[in-house]
Amino acid sequence: MASKSAIPERVGEAAHAPPTAVRTEDDPTRDSYGTAFALLAPAIALYAVFSLLPIVATVGISFTNSGGFNTEAQFVGLDNYVRASEDPIVWQSLLRTFLWLFYHVVLAGGLGLVLALAVSSLARGKVFFRTTLFLPHLVSLAVVGVIWANIYDPFYGLLNTLLASLNLSHLAQGWLSDPFLVLFSVNVASSWQGFGLYMLLFIAGLQNVDPTLYDAAEVDGASAWQKLIHVTLPGLREVLTFVVSLAMINGLKGFATVFVMTNGGPFYASEIITTYIYRMAFQAQDHGLAAVLCIMMSVLAITITVTFNRWRARGAT
Amino acid sequence: MKTNGLMKSTAMLAALAGAAFAVPATVQAQNLVVWGSDLQADPLVNELWQEIKTRFEEANPGVTIEYMPPTGNISDGAVQAAIQSEAGPDVLLTNSGIGRVTIVANAKLVQPLTAQYEELGWKDKIYPWLYEQLSTQFNGEIYEVPDGVDAIAIWYHKDMFEENGWSLEGGWADFTATLDAIKAAGVEPIAVGIRNCCNGGHLIGNFLQAAAGPQMMGEVVAGEVPWTDPAVVAGAQNLVDSVKAGHINPQMTSLDQDAAIRLWANKRAAIFFGGPWFINNVRQLDYDLANLGYATIPSDLDDGSRPTGGVGWSWMVPVSSKQPELAMKWIDFMLSEEIMMLRAEHQTSSQLMARDLPDVEPVVPVMGEVFAAAAEGVGYNPSVYIPGSALDTYYQVIGGLVGGQVSPEDGLAQIEAKMGD
Amino acid sequence: MIPSRKDLPMLAALVPATFVIVAPFLWLIISSLKTEAEIGVGDPFALPDALMWQNYVDAWSVGGFADLIGNSLINVAGVVLLMLLTCVPAGYALSKIRFPGREWIFYAFIFGLTIPVQAIIIPLYQVLTGLGLINSLTGIVLAQVSNGIPFGIFLMRSFFLGVPNELTEAARIDGANHFQILTQVFLPLSMPAMQALVIISALSTWNDFFLPLVVLISPDVQTLPLGLVRFASTYTTSYRLVFSGTVITFLPVIILFILTQRRFTEGLTQGALKG
Repeated sequence: MASKSAIPERVGEAAHAPPTAVRTEDDPTRDSYGTAFALLAPAIALYAVFSLLPIVATVGISFTNSGGFNTEAQFVGLDNYVRASEDPIVWQSLLRTFLWLFYHVVLAGGLGLVLALAVSSLARGKVFFRTTLFLPHLVSLAVVGVIWANIYDPFYGLLNTLLASLNLSHLAQGWLSDPFLVLFSVNVASSWQGFGLYMLLFIAGLQNVDPTLYDAAEVDGASAWQKLIHVTLPGLREVLTFVVSLAMINGLKGFATVFVMTNGGPFYASEIITTYIYRMAFQAQDHGLAAVLCIMMSVLAITITVTFNRWRARGAT
Repeated sequence: MKTNGLMKSTAMLAALAGAAFAVPATVQAQNLVVWGSDLQADPLVNELWQEIKTRFEEANPGVTIEYMPPTGNISDGAVQAAIQSEAGPDVLLTNSGIGRVTIVANAKLVQPLTAQYEELGWKDKIYPWLYEQLSTQFNGEIYEVPDGVDAIAIWYHKDMFEENGWSLEGGWADFTATLDAIKAAGVEPIAVGIRNCCNGGHLIGNFLQAAAGPQMMGEVVAGEVPWTDPAVVAGAQNLVDSVKAGHINPQMTSLDQDAAIRLWANKRAAIFFGGPWFINNVRQLDYDLANLGYATIPSDLDDGSRPTGGVGWSWMVPVSSKQPELAMKWIDFMLSEEIMMLRAEHQTSSQLMARDLPDVEPVVPVMGEVFAAAAEGVGYNPSVYIPGSALDTYYQVIGGLVGGQVSPEDGLAQIEAKMGD
Repeated sequence: MIPSRKDLPMLAALVPATFVIVAPFLWLIISSLKTEAEIGVGDPFALPDALMWQNYVDAWSVGGFADLIGNSLINVAGVVLLMLLTCVPAGYALSKIRFPGREWIFYAFIFGLTIPVQAIIIPLYQVLTGLGLINSLTGIVLAQVSNGIPFGIFLMRSFFLGVPNELTEAARIDGANHFQILTQVFLPLSMPAMQALVIISALSTWNDFFLPLVVLISPDVQTLPLGLVRFASTYTTSYRLVFSGTVITFLPVIILFILTQRRFTEGLTQGALKG
């Protein structure tokens, strides 16, 4: 840490310097290096111990047969990678992760966009709707899982009892038991929680669309739909790419709702990569395989981020 | 270990300071953290465990028992997580069986207790067949001490069955006819909670045994006969047929055990497969215990109609136990005649104890029926017999069978594939 | 509030949509005031005969919500404080001080932005165990802060980059060092960014589930979402308790949000768009 005694030295130094050479922050002196280090040290220390070290260690574990936190692990080469490639559930969970991302982008991103357009078009009451529609985002995804598990409960849940009381019992479904529906049902819960933030971002983006463009379109006699296509959406382009990438990253991290509502079942029908990592690491104690899954997940996350940053950069120029 | 010793002495110092007024200075104050019964949230059950605590503390001056509420079991990883934490229990009671014990034994989370079986005579304090089973599972090492034996069969509403003239006598065809009749009456025939492990296992264990018999199921779970044996497949096929016939609603795959019990207790379902612990579950829902009926699953085989079971719950000592010696004392205490009788004759008694107690007079009458049904021995609940490597697949396959996602042949083949690992 | 006539067609669509979106809240709140028998009837339109406030009393005492809320508050306070203490100085150093390796360090932090915490959970768990921080609020705070640092630094750096260099230069000519510039010039300036950082870290910490699930094992250190899931799975047989317990977990945040919604929304949007 740089001590306070550094101050007079610096001042003295400056006094000896030729008057024309005004010091700027561009000057890479040892002292500012020390200051920078002092300012960075707390962040670096925490980040190195609790993020960087584990990232490196994950790669290490993936080459061992670690069978638990207390066991001795041996180097097994690419064994875990081979096992992962031969495990059908790995591939299924990966596929379902993509499906999950797609659902989340469409449901949460789409709902966020539509509601943002609707709310922004209002002359009065914007704040009321913006506030009310944002409420689900304040609820923890785990709690959302508890809430929606009860909504979907086949015998007492809101959804099926609602359908029954509207004489629509034939539409009642096993929302969490039907293997084709379950991932979608859980994603609806997740997206219900997620869309609020995207909506706010779109509303902010809409405020930045140049109003004169609308006036110009108005003069050209454009319909509301044409204005949306030719003015609004192009104006939102940057926010749009940002929201899509944010939604994909959030989707990739999806865990709590699946864990709480179905625990990956029935028969792996809702197993995604994060729940499978948890199952392997903390239930089956198969750390080697879990580490391979972790690496796959990181690669996915990096790919998504890089791709969208490129896209964004290209869109900006 | 250095840190352990340090922790221990610090903990002792703290405990000493706290207890200085309560106990004579010559007695060492010690804490034993017990991961106890998951039913302890029930005031009646809690009463019993408080009584056990008092008696143990009287027998061991200076010792304080501290119950830690269980956050789950081995199947959901909660036990492993607790053991790995510094705040873990010194001794724990949890759902056991070789599959679950394998997971914690292989991960070196629990200590072998083989020596204590000899030195403290535990091997003579449990059923001989039980000791036989345990002592052959891990090349002679034993990691658990059974607390109770399960006896899983059918629970039904006496009044409902009487009013409608339904019966659980006879063979398999009679059983399906009864289920048809229940279905026709607008009641869910079978309630089962498949989402969180165990209850789906109770159901399929009974179905498989009814078709293949207890002896063959014993060989199947031991890996001597494949799961794909036609007799076993027939049992799984019966389960799938029951789903198709509407006896088991596929939506049950999204329920957990408690939700299924609730459905049953509200009389929206007629049958539940479970062990005597079920009595406590429905008592908490204010269900009239006099109306509880217990019956074994109908079968066309001579010995197919008996409860399934095996070790239901066991005591284990985590490697991180700060009081291993005291933990052994505690287990020894649980095996004593005094505590066994106290528990067996308590109104919340809900298991067969780990050894024969001929003089027991159960408080809840239906427990008498359970004892009678189990008198000829209990069959095999696969959940507590199959290896840990196969356990997760086993539970997922049950969901797949009921949800129609996997055929009996394929599902059982998937379990079989994991048996050898 | 009188709706503008021009808005009427849009409102005709927006009002029902909003109703559907908040319906789960309404259903939960109404159900949480019913008796077990009334819930058992399974009619979502039926109102309770008498309001069962007792459900809340029971859930509160059975579920230990006082402890859970206390733990969550400690958790949030710890994370917010440490985030400010680490990210504000680091963001300043990475934007206003030139030193060799600056870009490198920045990219190392940005790298962390792309790695989800689930993907490093096994060694993270080992590190926490090794430091004796498993099952402690300190452990969870450090892990969450480390996880949030990349975003926090990115946010603060982008904000500081927008502050003209002339300001720094002028202060340096007056003889101020970087610490003084940071605390006396930049801190007052950066209130909006810090507000965003506080709101975003507080909300994500309050709602976090994965790390607490792995790190916080005994009930006495658990936070609210984890406690509720445990509560809901222990008392599935008692829906009235699950419903009232759930309402207890979300109602305070919703009220706090409604009271501070303008600042909250601003902070959240700005923070997200910058970050």
